[in-house]
Order: sequence, then structure tokens, then C-alpha cells
Amino acid sequence: MISHRLRLLLVSFCLLWLPAREALADLVVVVNARCGVAAMTRNEVVNIFFGRYRLFFNGREAQPVDLTDSHPDRARFYSGLVGKDLAEINAYWARLVFSGRVQPPHKVATPDEVLKWISANTCGIGFVELAKADARVRVVYELPQ
Amino acid sequence: MLQLVAGVARADHEDSFTVHGFGTLGVARTTSDQVEFVRDISQPRGARSDWDGRVDSVLGLQANWRVTHNLEAVVQGVSRYRYDRSFTPEIAWAYLKYDPTPALSLRAGRLGTEFFMLADSRLVGYSYLTVRPPGDYFWYLPFSSIDGADVLLSLPLGDNVLRGKVFYGISDSSLPLADRQWKIDGSPMVGGYLEYQLASWQMRLSYANIKFRNSLPIAQDFYAVPPALLSPAAVDASLDYLETANTRSHYYSLGVVYDSGPWQLQFMLNHVDQGSNAFESSSAGYVLAGYRIGQVTPFLGYSRVESERRANRMNWAVDRVMADSRSVQATTIVGARWDVARNIALKAQWDGIRGDSSSIFPYRREQPGWSGKLDVFSLTMDFVF
Repeated sequence: MISHRLRLLLVSFCLLWLPAREALADLVVVVNARCGVAAMTRNEVVNIFFGRYRLFFNGREAQPVDLTDSHPDRARFYSGLVGKDLAEINAYWARLVFSGRVQPPHKVATPDEVLKWISANTCGIGFVELAKADARVRVVYELPQ
Repeated sequence: MLQLVAGVARADHEDSFTVHGFGTLGVARTTSDQVEFVRDISQPRGARSDWDGRVDSVLGLQANWRVTHNLEAVVQGVSRYRYDRSFTPEIAWAYLKYDPTPALSLRAGRLGTEFFMLADSRLVGYSYLTVRPPGDYFWYLPFSSIDGADVLLSLPLGDNVLRGKVFYGISDSSLPLADRQWKIDGSPMVGGYLEYQLASWQMRLSYANIKFRNSLPIAQDFYAVPPALLSPAAVDASLDYLETANTRSHYYSLGVVYDSGPWQLQFMLNHVDQGSNAFESSSAGYVLAGYRIGQVTPFLGYSRVESERRANRMNWAVDRVMADSRSVQATTIVGARWDVARNIALKAQWDGIRGDSSSIFPYRREQPGWSGKLDVFSLTMDFVF
């Protein structure tokens, strides 16, 4: 009896949990399919999005695109990639921009614009939900959930 | 479809000219009226036991013009309390940056100097945890820009990055000394660093030197001393001994930064080897740790500086000049940064300075009775836009 109730509880808990999981679909890093990049390490992704080093291993220049703060995927991306919140990411860029080193990635407002940017730039790189990745792009890195 | 692509391409060109700014509104007060506390030695007056807005308040505006994909023009103007007791805006930087590849960056014009790690963003409070960079470490570094050029080369090593930079330029600053200004403009500076960047760690070794062009503005004071107290021959010998023109000061530093998830840690060491007898050489260091909890990041730090007395102090007047550059003290830093809204941070900080009563270099207008012990309370609002 107790185990039956427990099972019921677990099932209902899973039912509650499922939609939440679905809402937080996997974010992936995608690169223009014509760029010739098949896979990247986490650190290589960090190097490009944080302006540390913006050449792919094949010597081509990465053209990163970011989302604006108002889109929730931006916070999820940086939290999943480096465990930082947006205030920290913006503080990081304040240091680099006002010491004149590197410009932050170009920013757009929606995942559709991210994909447009990537397909318009031969080595465009950005992040979208896995389900949005289409034939124009190649998934090169999956963020840990 | 073509139209869409064209739209994206146009959007790219829209941000070829951008204007951004940074600023801090801050007040600070101390527990002593025997000295005035300054943010760095470019400030002629500082805070005592009343709240003072001059120490940390700053406003900066920067325009970036991306001329072509790899050529950029940057101008930054800054207004802060400076050597002449005004907030007169200055052109902090104005340079052209050319990146033939993303791995190589060349800049020429008026540039920020990186004598120490993080030194070129000292005024951008929003970019770091504390209210101001730890003074014990940065007080001996009054230079903020050069007219010159630098070269930055980045090399990937596996998925880590090795970076090397060299710079050369001419200083354009003035330093307040008592009621006068010591012009260090025209003094050539040269330096560089080697930096290794791992996923969460960053390590940097750096070296720089400056060759001072001008003498300290102390001759007048020496000539005014009655001959009974200091003979004319002794005056000449003193000024010779304290000469700064054509002497070279060397700056060595090591910095390690760890930045991962909620943690931020910094560990820095430096040594300044002063070529002129007028200044005491010094060693300094600090550790700083912060841990973010939600939007609030409490931090804790400890810094220390110690300068070396020279053996030959010649006479009482020389001794007095030499004593001016003495600093022997340690500071405990406790505070918190609260990221209260997008691009705005509020900070509160306590600095517990415990030093020797001879430690007067970092302060202004020290009075008899100065004990070397001082608490500083600071509140700031930092922003970028």
C-alpha cells in the first residue's frame, strides 16, 4: 500500500517534472556548416565567446553572435558554459571594452536572428536550442544540463 | 531569403560606431583627521572623517569606430578628481587598433598602460568586485597612459592561450607633490608581459620601466633653507643625491587570477625598484576572494606593502624627502558587491589599514600624531552604459 502510494507520488512528480524539462531544452553551440568545424571543446567555445582567441583550429576566423540580456537563453548559456550570471558576464566585458582590447560578440534579440547571422557569415558561431539547429548549421558542442 | 541576408549584413554595419560609458558615484570617509586618504597618488587631496565624494567618483565616455573589419579607432574621455584639484575631463586614450589576424593586435596613439595585471581598467569600478583596486598594491603606480604603441600576440596551446605584449611610449602625466606638481610627461616607458590563460586560471608575469625626464620640484625648498641649517655645498650635494631626471624605475609583477562559477580569486605580487635615491623601493602583494550568492558577492582581502629605507640619508633635509615615499602597512578588506539592476552595482567596503606611523607615502597632508592606523568606509554605485 505504501509502496503503491509512493509509486503514484513518483509518477505524478515525473509528470510535473517533464514539462519543466522540456521548457529547458538542450542548448547547443552551432557553427555555419560551410566553415569546416565539426566539434569543439568547452574551452574552445569559451575562448571564442569571451574574446580570448577567435580562430578555429583550421585557422579560420570565428564570427560569434550573442543574444541580448532580455532573451532567457543568454543567461542559460553562460550559466551552463561557465557557471556565471549575466551581471558577471557584463562586468567581464566592461573590463575588456574599456581597456580597449576586444569587442564583445555582435548581439541579436532572437534565436531566429542568431541562425540568420550564422548563415550570413561563413564562420558564424552562436547558440540555440537543439531543436532549432537546421541544415544551415552544424552542432559543434552540447552544453551540459 | 536574399533580403533577410542583406538585413543581417546591414545590422552588422549599424554597430560600426558605438558610444559607451562607465562611472562611479562614491563616498568615502576615514576614522582619522591626521591624514587624507586618496585612491591613488595622482589625487592632491583626500578623504578625512567626513564623507567625501572626490576619492572614487568618476565618469568616462568611450567612442569606438570600426573603420573596417580589422581597423578600429577608439577615444576615451575621463573626468575624475585629479592632480590639479579639478574634475577637468582628459583624453585618457585615443588610438588606432589594427588586427591583421585575430591572433595579432597592433595599437598606436594614446594608450592605457598595463604595468600590472588589471591596471588598465582601474577606473572602471563596474568591472571588478572591490570599491577600488587595493591601494597597497597600486599606490606606487601613478601612470595611466602613454603616447606610444603596443603589440599583442596570442598563441593557442592546446585549448589554452599564451599571450605576449610589448609596449613603448612617452608618459603624459603630472603628480601632485605638496603644493607643486611633478611633471613626468616626456618620460619614456617600456614594458611587456607574458600571460597564460587556462579555462579558469590566468597567470601573468610582467615587467616595465620608466625613465624620468624631470627633477622633483624640491630645489626651491632646498635653496630656501637658511645656510646655518644647511650649507650651500650641502644643498647642492643633496639635490644631486636626490636627482630623479634620467633615473630609471623598474616594475616587476606576478599575478594569478582564478575565476570559475561563483568564485573569484586574485593573488598578486610586485616589486618596484626605484632608480632615484629620492624614492624608496617597495614590495607589495594582495589576495582577494569573492563568492557570489544570488546577486550579492561578499569579498574578503588582505594587502601589504613594505618599502626599504636607504642606508645613506646624507642630512636631515634629504632624510625628510626620502621619508615621503615610505609605506609600511597592511590592509584588511571586507565588503560586498550587490548587482542591483542590469549594469548597476552597489558596493560597501571597509578597509582596515594597520601600518607604521612612518607610512606616509599613500596619504596627503599628514599631521603630527599620525599613528599609521586608519579605517576607511566606502559606498559606491558603479554603472556602465
